[in-house]
Amino acid sequence: MRKKTKRTLICYAILSPQIIGFLVFSLYPILWAASKAFYYYTGTPSATRFVGLENFIRIFTVDSSYWKTWGNTLLFTFGKLPLELPLALGIALCLRKGLRGAGFFRALFYLPCIISVAIVGLIFSNLFDYFGFINAWLVKAGIVDTPIDWFSSAWSARAALIAGSIWSSFGINVLYFISALSNVPEELYECARLDGASGWTTFRKITMPMIAPVFSTILLLAINGTLQTCEYILATTKGAPHGSTYTVMAYVVNRFVPGFAEMGVNVGYGCALALVTAVIMGMVALVYTKLTARLQNIYGN
Amino acid sequence: MGKYLFLGVVAIFVIMPIAYTISSSFKTNAEIMAHPEHFWPEVPTLENYRIAWQDKDFNIPRMFWNSTIYTVLCMLFTVTTSALAGYVFARGGDFAGSKLLFAIFSSLMFLNMGTITIYPIFQVLGILKLSSSLWGLIVMRFFSVGIINIYLVRSYIRTIPPQLDEAAGMDGCSFLGIFFRIMVPLLKPILATISILAFNASWNEYLMPTLFTLNNRQQRTLIVGIMSLKNAGVSAANWNLMLAGATIAMLPILVVYAIANRYFVEGLTAGALKG
Repeated sequence: MRKKTKRTLICYAILSPQIIGFLVFSLYPILWAASKAFYYYTGTPSATRFVGLENFIRIFTVDSSYWKTWGNTLLFTFGKLPLELPLALGIALCLRKGLRGAGFFRALFYLPCIISVAIVGLIFSNLFDYFGFINAWLVKAGIVDTPIDWFSSAWSARAALIAGSIWSSFGINVLYFISALSNVPEELYECARLDGASGWTTFRKITMPMIAPVFSTILLLAINGTLQTCEYILATTKGAPHGSTYTVMAYVVNRFVPGFAEMGVNVGYGCALALVTAVIMGMVALVYTKLTARLQNIYGN
Repeated sequence: MGKYLFLGVVAIFVIMPIAYTISSSFKTNAEIMAHPEHFWPEVPTLENYRIAWQDKDFNIPRMFWNSTIYTVLCMLFTVTTSALAGYVFARGGDFAGSKLLFAIFSSLMFLNMGTITIYPIFQVLGILKLSSSLWGLIVMRFFSVGIINIYLVRSYIRTIPPQLDEAAGMDGCSFLGIFFRIMVPLLKPILATISILAFNASWNEYLMPTLFTLNNRQQRTLIVGIMSLKNAGVSAANWNLMLAGATIAMLPILVVYAIANRYFVEGLTAGALKG
């Protein structure tokens, strides 16, 4: 008994940095922000006052610019993932079955993932600059007559952002799909070949059902990651033009966090936005896992 | 053949932005602006690097040093605390409250209030006079819960037969003694992976180091310094410096990746998607 108590104490001593960190740098900040959501708070103690649900009422009734950023975030996510995931899956399918040079390609395609998203933002801002590489070649190739001002209209800015974002993150999904595909027994493919199934049939009838559970995890990670995009937007457009490329997370930072926001902004309102955002994000993950569980049940039966 | 054509095209799209950035860092700003279609510089010049190296405001050697200190310390802290925590959760023998603690730590993955929490964090670190210093962020990183790394270590230790530490325990080795003498040597591969991922993540960080060095320009890291040049308004005039800076910021990562890409790739697939 004494020995067990001593062991428990040692365990808590070893975990003390994480426990302290959790209390001080995770729990306290979350509670602080959640409580300030009910205040008008600019940092000056004398101006602080309790406003009850006022911040939340404003979010749900007047603040259209916040909900517009949700629209942008969804546009960004559903513009990016339908291109990125099939691309990654296609590459993973090519790299399967001991293709010569597979290791080289795998390492190469993962390369963009190790570069800072801030630098990725800088590189793509340069490539898509009015006087940039992409415009120069589009004009030279005769695809457009005059250079496109990519970052001055909403749709072209979104397209440029999506291009950079896919470049930066498709490699990780290639790795995920390779590991998903490696769990499909090779015999299944041999049987299909003997039965004379075509490549497309094999893919539809064997590959997809076999990787479906892992696929849903990959999709969850990708959706979650893309919805939470923040630094990349801060490093590129910062929402321009006219807030049409803000993601939710980048919007809250750019409006309410020191160094990005204006002085004297109502941080209490920012906290209310952050709280609403966190709840919606959590609900997306929850609904998604519930839905995919049901889908898998249907598939299973 | 078709496969190689497809992979080759993708490979060109992957390489081109990096290669163009590096190549352009050897061009004059006039050439960058007037002839963006040139891939190779007309006359390669080291001028951008010379300016960046000597500029008082955009002080590359200083920023490189700050990035290095920050990255090395974050890496050390991450690997130490997550190895120990993973060990405790794997072999602590279900100490009182272990399940609850693990569940609480795991729930952090889904509780994200975003960067607005910087206000209370500054408030806490302000007590220690660390709210506008990179050291404050380093302190915070020491106390952070790297739950994914804890998962990685815990599941790795679970593959090691428990008879091994039982035998060492019978020979009089203490709980911590077993960790240092038996576990650490066996954990080397996973610890290498964790170190490399931590190196990559902290070297690349942008938002948090920016916030902690707002009033302390001397402590800016490379990424922070380069991005502040981009946000300076007259950015078009500074593409040459930014591209040279970006090249310098990418270089250590690219070198480490060339030597140890195995560890990058293995860690990611080992942890996330088993089964």
